[in-house]
Amino acid sequence: MKRRTFVEVGAGSVAAVLWPRGGMAARRAADYLLVPMDEAQADHLKAYGLTYRLLNRTGKAEWFLNYRGGSFLLPGDGATARDAALSGVTVEPVDESAVFQIRAEIKESNMDAVPLEKPPKVAVYAPPNAAPWDDAVTMVLQYAGIEFDKIWDEEVVSGKLKTYDWLHLHHEDFTGQYSKFFLNYNGAPWLQEMVDRNERMARKLGFRDVPANKRAVAYGIFQFVDNGGFLFAMCTATETLDLALASDGVDIAASFADGTPMDGNASAKMNWDRALAFQGARLEQSPSLALFSDIDGHQVNSPDRRQPLGTFTLFNFSAKIDPVPAMLVQNHRQVIPDFYGLTTSFMKNRLKPGITVLADEPGAPWAKYIRGDRGKGTWCFFGGHDPEDAQHQIGDAPTDLSLHPHSPGYRLILNNVLFPAAKKKELKT
Amino acid sequence: MRALLAAVALAVLVPAGSAAQANPAPDPATRAFDLERRGQYAAAAEVYRGILTARPGDLGALLGLERSLAPQNKLGDMQAELRRALTVGQPSAAFYGLAVRVAVAAGVADTARSLVLRWIALEPKSEAPYQEWGAAALGVRDRAQAKAAYQLGRQRLGDSVLAGELAQLATIEGDYEAAVREWLAAIARTPGYRSAAVSMLGQAPVTGRPAVLRHLEAARSAAAERVAATLTIRWGDPVGGLRRLERAAPVIGDGMVEALQDGLDEVRGGSGREAGMARAIGLELLGARIPAQSTRYWLESAQAYADAGDQGSARRMLGKLAADPKASPTMAASATSTLVSVLIAEGKMDEAAKQFAQLKGVLAEEEREGLLIRLAEGWVRAGKLDRADQVMAKDSTVDGLAVRGRIRLYLGDLGEASTLLRAAGPFAGARDASVSRTTALALLQVIDEDSLPPLGSALLKLERHDSVTAGQDLARVGATLPPDRGGAEVLLLAGRVQAGAGNRSEAERLFRLVSDLKVPASAAQATVELARILVATERKPQAIEMLEQLLVSYPMSAVAPQARRIIDQAKGAIPPS
Repeated sequence: MKRRTFVEVGAGSVAAVLWPRGGMAARRAADYLLVPMDEAQADHLKAYGLTYRLLNRTGKAEWFLNYRGGSFLLPGDGATARDAALSGVTVEPVDESAVFQIRAEIKESNMDAVPLEKPPKVAVYAPPNAAPWDDAVTMVLQYAGIEFDKIWDEEVVSGKLKTYDWLHLHHEDFTGQYSKFFLNYNGAPWLQEMVDRNERMARKLGFRDVPANKRAVAYGIFQFVDNGGFLFAMCTATETLDLALASDGVDIAASFADGTPMDGNASAKMNWDRALAFQGARLEQSPSLALFSDIDGHQVNSPDRRQPLGTFTLFNFSAKIDPVPAMLVQNHRQVIPDFYGLTTSFMKNRLKPGITVLADEPGAPWAKYIRGDRGKGTWCFFGGHDPEDAQHQIGDAPTDLSLHPHSPGYRLILNNVLFPAAKKKELKT
Repeated sequence: MRALLAAVALAVLVPAGSAAQANPAPDPATRAFDLERRGQYAAAAEVYRGILTARPGDLGALLGLERSLAPQNKLGDMQAELRRALTVGQPSAAFYGLAVRVAVAAGVADTARSLVLRWIALEPKSEAPYQEWGAAALGVRDRAQAKAAYQLGRQRLGDSVLAGELAQLATIEGDYEAAVREWLAAIARTPGYRSAAVSMLGQAPVTGRPAVLRHLEAARSAAAERVAATLTIRWGDPVGGLRRLERAAPVIGDGMVEALQDGLDEVRGGSGREAGMARAIGLELLGARIPAQSTRYWLESAQAYADAGDQGSARRMLGKLAADPKASPTMAASATSTLVSVLIAEGKMDEAAKQFAQLKGVLAEEEREGLLIRLAEGWVRAGKLDRADQVMAKDSTVDGLAVRGRIRLYLGDLGEASTLLRAAGPFAGARDASVSRTTALALLQVIDEDSLPPLGSALLKLERHDSVTAGQDLARVGATLPPDRGGAEVLLLAGRVQAGAGNRSEAERLFRLVSDLKVPASAAQATVELARILVATERKPQAIEMLEQLLVSYPMSAVAPQARRIIDQAKGAIPPS
């Protein structure tokens, strides 16, 4: 081939890249944009942000549960198409007849079409100076482009929580023991800073010590759920929230936190009626072991009790009969590699009756992902710290989610963000 | 062997005569052990307790109870069983070990101490009581108790005992003076402690490292010097580590060869110029100390010096080799081959060509081809393209085609360059060369002209690291070409060269120019490059707006993922790279 011919072929290839098949047609507004959430999706995480922002603008979208990995149907307006192009989210223009066919398929299968309306107002419970890259939810909300406010003890105690629909807790220790890192990291500047900040806040709010302050915050969060809020918690916030709630009147904090040793008989004195998810747990007495109780199945910080990581499997719920758990497990993967956290998993023998297990490790005595209702509200607990950093250590490099746009673990978090936007319909179970 | 083991296992599981018995109930110890294996610790503990009710002094059952309670975090609960056991006979060392572990787990340090004192009475010369107590205390993170245990041992057994244990404790506590003192004492008693010392001290935080080295220097011993050298290497100064060994040779004495070999082992994992230099220095020092193998070490040292860019030292080593009557012909040829590479790297092309002409008859074919290519590349860098052309004239290897293609490119013969570079394909040579060839081909395919000497000249300047002039020349050439026939691409390259040379303002001007030319592929790439400059100069909103426009205009562009990543970083949605 002469060079000139080669050049012409090259130019043709460039043209093909710039104006792909159907590219011009796509400029004409489609009736709808289908956001596939199966393997065809280029960025699963940003797809949630695209849907959330659309809801903010128009309050109109649909979630096709179990259809192509839990796809979204969005109006085919120019702003949404532009947002999808900017975000790198794969959208497929579809017309009324195609949507009709999809609806027919949904009707015949274990699928459902859930209308999405009002996007929840999101709050993340985190200290004011929390590093932006140390909390999976903060990271994924930022990556997906979902707005949120950061709140902390003062806002919770003063009742500001009621202005939000959705609250996230990450690795906060609601027993007020600084994740029990106090003895092993004694002298570390970050720990010193954490202790100072928490003690200042406890004094400011009029509590005698940090454990008392955190217990009051836990109760504020409990009331938020009881009054109709959506709570999502990960890592050690799950376990310690319940320990704080169940320990009213019982000293479960080590002396470094409140000046007195933990009650030797604390386990027997707990009132689990106040807790959201757990019951009958035995508390860890050692002040230097960064463990709280036998709720966690993996006990990552105990050399003797630590359990290896496996994989967890999402349950397949009936989309038409159980739409709530079905929404929470929408994913393009059913089996997901497990990841450690200060609390990694939840022993099934410590779950209260009526709690729904959304994911577990087959054959293991623990669950990974659970949910339940309390009063008018609902809560969801997901064990582990960072779905894409299985062995996260203090000081590790932050996770760059642009390298994990298909992360099935992070998808589970985002299911929770969109779930409150679903239009309520009467549940059959 | 496996069959034998199976037979033994069966013999244990099925005792003689069992077939004739009707399912005899397993004895309690077997049942407890089985429950333990199945992870039913609470049930196992109950069975062990049953055994101990009948036989309070049964050590096997006591140890089984310990194993069953530990996973339940209830080790402290077996104090009653231990007290009963103490009443039924003379306790053994194993019993005391268990009792100490339980006392520590229960948080009763005084009891632990009194048990250790009773154990010492049984075994007055043993270090085990103190080690057991200290290890149990460390298991519950009680460093003060562990320290008390080891110090009691030292008080009773003498000055240097338990040095390893105290050294670990001092290292964990950040008391580097004590840590160094104890580690050196431990190494003096057992040289095998050296690697543990290096490993533990190596974990000292950056702020503690000068203190560690200062205390090691103050010790003025061979062991201290060796540990200091290894730590220096491990902490990122490999050359400093080897030089430290060189200076300490009189102190280290007979252990110098072993010390150098350790140093070279430590350096082996490293990469980059510093690691290469350290390796070269180590090999040179080793060659001087092992005369029988000096030629081999010196040749390797010369190669390492040359690879690290220290051509003077490489020549010095090769000079030593040339003067060595012991060097074999093969070794001499390898030395000359290295010398040619050194001369090329130094730009002494005439001398390199002369040495190569004398040598080529004795070189293996592959080595000869490799040197020939390096020679041609040397001539290119020297700007003597005719000599380079001459060297490669008869070379028809794939690597040779790639070099010939580059020579034609620098001569401005774009047609022939394109043919040769395509013939060389994407895989010839090292990865860098392959990428650069593909980039050159991408540039050539959009230019109409078959001959363009100013472009060749500009690219040659780039090859010779004259980036500023190359950038200026490329910008001039780009301006003469139609934008969609290579003009935009050449200007884009000019902008990248200026950006690489740190000339941001000129790079920005060129990227804006290319972006405005609206030649699709080049415009998209120029926009991304421009956005990078804008982000780096704190003009993030402008960068984001520009990239969003790009994504909307060219959604299928190959640079779209890069554009999204820059937007995400500028918005703080992902961590900075």
